[in-house]
Amino acid sequence: MSAVLTEPVAAAAASLAARLAGITVEVRGHSRGSSAGAPAGAGVVWRADGLILTNAHVAEGAVSVVLPDRRVLSARLAARDVEHDLAALVVEATGLSAAEIGDSDALRVGELVLAVGNPLGVVRALSAGLVHATGRRFIQADLRLAPGNSGGPLADARGRVVGLNAMIVGGLAFAVPSRAGWRFVRERLGR
Amino acid sequence: MDALLSLSNDLAAAVERAAPAVVAVHARRLPSTGIHWRPGIVVTAEHTVRTAEDITVTMADGRSLPAVLAGRDPGTDLAVLRVADAGSVVATLGDDAALKVGHMVLALGYGPRASWGVISALGPRWRSWRGGDIDRLVRLDLVLYPGFSGGPLVDAAGRVVGLNTSGLARETRLALPVTMVTRVADELLQKGHVSRGYLGLGMQPVRLPEPLRAQLGLGDGALIVVMVEPSGPAARAGVLLGDVLVALDGEPVGDLDDVQARLGSDRVGAEISAVVLRGGVRTELRITVGEQPRRRA
Repeated sequence: MSAVLTEPVAAAAASLAARLAGITVEVRGHSRGSSAGAPAGAGVVWRADGLILTNAHVAEGAVSVVLPDRRVLSARLAARDVEHDLAALVVEATGLSAAEIGDSDALRVGELVLAVGNPLGVVRALSAGLVHATGRRFIQADLRLAPGNSGGPLADARGRVVGLNAMIVGGLAFAVPSRAGWRFVRERLGR
Repeated sequence: MDALLSLSNDLAAAVERAAPAVVAVHARRLPSTGIHWRPGIVVTAEHTVRTAEDITVTMADGRSLPAVLAGRDPGTDLAVLRVADAGSVVATLGDDAALKVGHMVLALGYGPRASWGVISALGPRWRSWRGGDIDRLVRLDLVLYPGFSGGPLVDAAGRVVGLNTSGLARETRLALPVTMVTRVADELLQKGHVSRGYLGLGMQPVRLPEPLRAQLGLGDGALIVVMVEPSGPAARAGVLLGDVLVALDGEPVGDLDDVQARLGSDRVGAEISAVVLRGGVRTELRITVGEQPRRRA
C-alpha cells in the first residue's frame, strides 16, 4: 500500500520547515564581552524592514542577530515588555523575508503547530506538536522545546506565526500569542 | 488542500467531536478526567477517586453536578459515577480491535486539553500490579499531563478507543481498551464491584523433579499448597496442605498468574477440575469456585 497521506504530509511539513527557517533568526548576547556573542535564543522577522520580535528574557543587554543568510548584524533594542515577555529589535536591513502573522485567537485545540528555534545550540531545529489548550494568557502546546527555542516562532499548519515560544512548563510549550505581539508593536512602536 | 493542513484540521475536528463527552471529576485534591459513557454514567480512573462522598463532575458545558460513586475496581483502575444528567452528549465509542502499532492517537483531558502521539505497543492480556486482568496491553507514546488519567484515548476520527491511566504502571502510559471499559463498567453498575474467583488457598511455585514430570507428562512448574482456608472452597473439595497443584480447569498451572487467569468473575459458583499430586499420585478433585472476599475500598 502506498503512503497516500503520509508522503504529502511529510513533503508539506518539510516545505513549511524551510519557510519557517527563513524567517527565524538567532539572537546572541554580548553580556560576557565576547565579539561573536553567546547564543541567547531565537527571534521572528516581523517586518521586512528589519523589525524582529523576540522574548524580553532573550534580549537582555546588547545583542546581535544572525539572519537566515548567515549575516551577523548588531541590533538595537527598540522596546521591551517584561510582563508579556516581548522585545522588539531593529537591525539595519531591508527586504528581509518576513513572517506571515496568524491570529492566535483562531487556534483550535488539537490543531498542528510547528516550532523553530535553536534548542541547545542546534540552529533552526524543528519541533512538531499540537495545540494543547487555548483561551489562556499563553498558547499551550504539546510540543518538545529546549532552552534556545525562546523567542522563536510557533506556527500553524499554514505556516502563519501564531506565537513566540517563551517557556517550558511541565513539559508543555508556552508561547506568547501573536495577538500580544500585534498589540506590543502597535502600542510601543506605533506601527 | 495541503496535506499537512488537512491532517491538522482532522486532528482539531477529532478533538471537537470527542470533547463534549469529556468531564472533570473532583474526587481528590486535584481534578482528574472522566468520560460521559452513557446518559448519566461517567467512567474514570479508580486511583483518582480518593473520596466516596462529595464528588462533583464538571460537564463539558461547564455545569457542575453532584456525582454518586456507583462502583469501583482497583484491579483494573476503573470507577463508575452516576450524575443526574441524561441530556449531555455521550462518547462515541470506537473499535479497539482495529488498533495497530503506529496509529496516530490523541489523549484528552478536561478543558479540553490535548496530547498527541502514537500507539507504541500492543500486547496480550496482562495482570496489573493491582491484581486486575487487563484484556489487552495498549501502550502509548504520548504525554499524559497531570489530570489526564481517566480521560479518553481518541482515534483520528474522534472516536473513543480507550481510557488513559497512569495508575497501572509507573513509567508507562497505558490505555484500557474500550470494550473492556464497557464490560467492567456494566459489572460495576450491576454489583458495585468486580467479583473474582476464589479457592481459599495459599500456594507457592515449586519445580517438579524430572522423574515425576516424565512419569506423569507434566511441565516443570507447579504450585505447592502451603495454606488451606478452613471451610474455604478448596477445603470443602478435599484439598490438603502439601498437595501440589498441577492443573486447573483443564489447563496446566505453573505460577499464581496461571491460577488467577482461570478464576475470572464468570467462574464464580462454577465447578472446575483441579489436578493435584498427593504423595506422588495424581488426584483429581472438583472445586466449586467461591467469590474473593472484598478488601475494604
